Amino acid sequence: MIRRTVTVTLENGLHMVPASEIAKAVRDFSGRVVIRREDIVADARSVLDLLQLRAECGTNLEVEAEGDGDALVVDAIAQLFALNFAVERRPAAGSAGTGGT
Amino acid sequence: MIVKRGVAVSPGVAIGPAMVMGTEAVRIRRRFIRADTADAELARFRSALENVCQEIVTNEQLATEQIGKQYGAIFSAHLQLARDPRLHSEVDELVRKRHYSPEFAASQVLRKYAHQLQSLGNSYLAERATDLFDLERRILRNLLNEQKEDLAHLTEDVIVLARNLTPSETAVLDRKHVLGFATEIGGATSHTAILAGALELPAIVGVGNFLTEISGGTTVILDGNHGELLIDPDEATISRYRDAAKKARAVAARILKVSQRTAETKDQVRVHVHGNIEFPEEADHCIERGADGIGLYRTEFLYLAGAHERTEQDHFDAYRSVIERVGDRPVVIRTLDLGADKVLAVADEPVERCTNPELGLRSIRLSLDNLQLFKTQLRAILRAATQGRVSVMFPLISSLLELRQAKMILEDVKEDLTEEGAEFNPSVPIGIMVEVPSAALMAAEFAREVDFFSIGTNDLIQYTLAADRSDPAVAKYYNSADPAVLRLIRMVVRAASESGLPVTVCGQMSSDPKFVPLLVGMGLRNLSTTPLAVPEVKEVIRSLTIAQAEQIAASALELDLASNVEGFLRGELLRVCPDLAE
Repeated sequence: MIRRTVTVTLENGLHMVPASEIAKAVRDFSGRVVIRREDIVADARSVLDLLQLRAECGTNLEVEAEGDGDALVVDAIAQLFALNFAVERRPAAGSAGTGGT
Repeated sequence: MIVKRGVAVSPGVAIGPAMVMGTEAVRIRRRFIRADTADAELARFRSALENVCQEIVTNEQLATEQIGKQYGAIFSAHLQLARDPRLHSEVDELVRKRHYSPEFAASQVLRKYAHQLQSLGNSYLAERATDLFDLERRILRNLLNEQKEDLAHLTEDVIVLARNLTPSETAVLDRKHVLGFATEIGGATSHTAILAGALELPAIVGVGNFLTEISGGTTVILDGNHGELLIDPDEATISRYRDAAKKARAVAARILKVSQRTAETKDQVRVHVHGNIEFPEEADHCIERGADGIGLYRTEFLYLAGAHERTEQDHFDAYRSVIERVGDRPVVIRTLDLGADKVLAVADEPVERCTNPELGLRSIRLSLDNLQLFKTQLRAILRAATQGRVSVMFPLISSLLELRQAKMILEDVKEDLTEEGAEFNPSVPIGIMVEVPSAALMAAEFAREVDFFSIGTNDLIQYTLAADRSDPAVAKYYNSADPAVLRLIRMVVRAASESGLPVTVCGQMSSDPKFVPLLVGMGLRNLSTTPLAVPEVKEVIRSLTIAQAEQIAASALELDLASNVEGFLRGELLRVCPDLAE
C-alpha cells in the first residue's frame, strides 16, 4: 500500500474541475484508491465523493492506493496537486497565479 | 421603469425584449416501478446516461473550439460526474431495493449531493450545486425523451431572464439572437458567469427575485458594466443607453483601425507600446493590435503546463516561436518567476510549505538556488537570441548581490556554450524588473550594472503597501494610485534617465488608460500592456502633449491620498481623451 500527503493550493479549493481531473487520472487503475481528510474518506474515482471532502486551499489530504501499480497512481495524483491542476490556469495576461509582474 | 441591481459578471450593454424562462423543473411522472422490471429500467437508465455523455462531449468540443480549452474543462468535469461510480451504484440500489423509477432515483441521488454541497459552508462549492442540477435535468430529459429547450434555436433578438442558467444552457445560447442575460441567483465565480465572460455576452447574476414582476416581451436594458437591469425603461432612457452603446462601439472600432500607427504625442514624441504575453500565440494578438514588440514574455507556462521537466529544446522552441511571430520587433524574455511550491514539486523533491510564499523562495531566488534549472533557461535564451532582438530580464531582484550572481551565471553559461561551439548571441542586453522597493531605492546603483529597467507595478504595489493582491480581505489596501508607489516610480525613472537607461512600466497600471498621461508625464517612453489594451493606450498617447502630461504628473504627485490621485487622473482622462473615460 502506498500513502502520501498532498496539500491543496487551489485558490477555490478542490472543486469540481480538479476533482474530475483526479477521477480521470485513476480511471484505469484496478485497485483501491482513496483520498482522506481527517475522518472523511472519498473514493478517488468519484467526483461526488471528492467534493464532500470540502478541501479548501491549504488543506492537507492523504492519498492512499493499494493494488497493482499503486505507486504510479499515487504519483499521478500527487503530480496533479503539485502542478496545481494545470486546468485551473487561465491564459489571460495578468494572470496572477503565474507571477504577473 | 423598475431598476434591479445584481452582480455584473460580463461587461457590455444590451437593449431588447425580455424572454422569461420558466422556473418549473422537469416533471417526473412516475416514481415507482414493478420489481420485476428493475433490469429493464436500469438498462433504460444506462442508455439515457450514454446519450447524456454524448451530449456533454459535444458541448465540450463546442466550448473548447469556440471559447477555449479551460471552458471545455467544465464539461469534461460534467462527463466525469455522469460517469461517477457513486451515482451509478446509488441509482442501482434505489431501483432494485426500493423500486424507484430511474428518473426518481437519479433525481434523488443528485439532489442529495447538491444539497450537501450547498450546506458545506463554502460558497464556491455551493455554486457547484448548479452543475449537479444541470446533470439532473439532462438525465431526466433523456429518460423522458423530452425535447431540448429552445434557447439554441431563436428567431428574434432577446434578453434572457431566468431563475438560473446552467453552464450547458449558457454555452449553447444562440449568440446571434441572445443579446445578454440576467439571473435571479448565482455569483461572480459560477461557471455560468465565467462562460458569459468568455462568450462576451453582457450578463448580470444574483439579481434576487424579479421574474414575477416581468412578463415576456417587455423591453429591458441590461447594463453589464454596472450590474443593472432596467425593466420597461422610458424612451429617454432607452435612447440615452442606445447612444452610449453606439458610441462605445464606434470608439473601439475607430481606435482599432488606427492601432497600427505609431504612438506619438501631439508634439511628436514617440512612446513605444509593447505587449505582455504568456503564451507564444499571444504575440500574434499583440502585433494585430499594433504593439511595437513584446515588453514582457512571461515564461512560467513552460514550467507549469507539462508534467515533465522542460528541456532546453522546449524553451528554445517556445522562444523561437515568439521571435518568428514578431519579426524584427524586440522581445524581452523574463526568467522564471514562480514560487518553489509550484516548480520544485515537479522535480519530485518535497517542498516545505512556506508560511508566506510572496516573501519566500520564489522567482530569481529560486533560480539562484537551482542552478541547473536556471542554466537550462539561460542557454535557451542565448541560443534563441541569434534569431531576433532578444533581451533577458531577471525578476524580483532585491539587492545588487543577487544581480551580480545572476550575471555571473549568465557568463558561465556563455563560456559553456563557447566551449561547446554552440551558436549563441553573446551580447544579449540584460535588464531587471524593479518590483521590490529596495531595488527602486537603489535604482541609481543598479543603473550602472544593467542595460534596462522594467517596473513591475503589480508586485511593487504589493510589497510597498504590504497588501497581498490576491487576498480579497485586503484588496482595499492594494492601490495603484498610492502616492508612495508613484514616488518610487519617479525615483526609478529619474535614476534611469540620469544614466541614459531605457525604462518600461509593464504592470497592470500601464494598461489602464487613466494612468497613461501620468506615466508619460513622469518621463516614461516605453509601456508594456495587455494585448487587448494596446490600441487604447496608443490612443491616449496620441491625444496628449508632453507639456500637458508633465503638468498632470506634477499635480498628481502633490496629492497625498490614493483616492484623490485616482479621482484626479479620472478627471484628466476625461479632458484628454473623453472617448476612453468611463
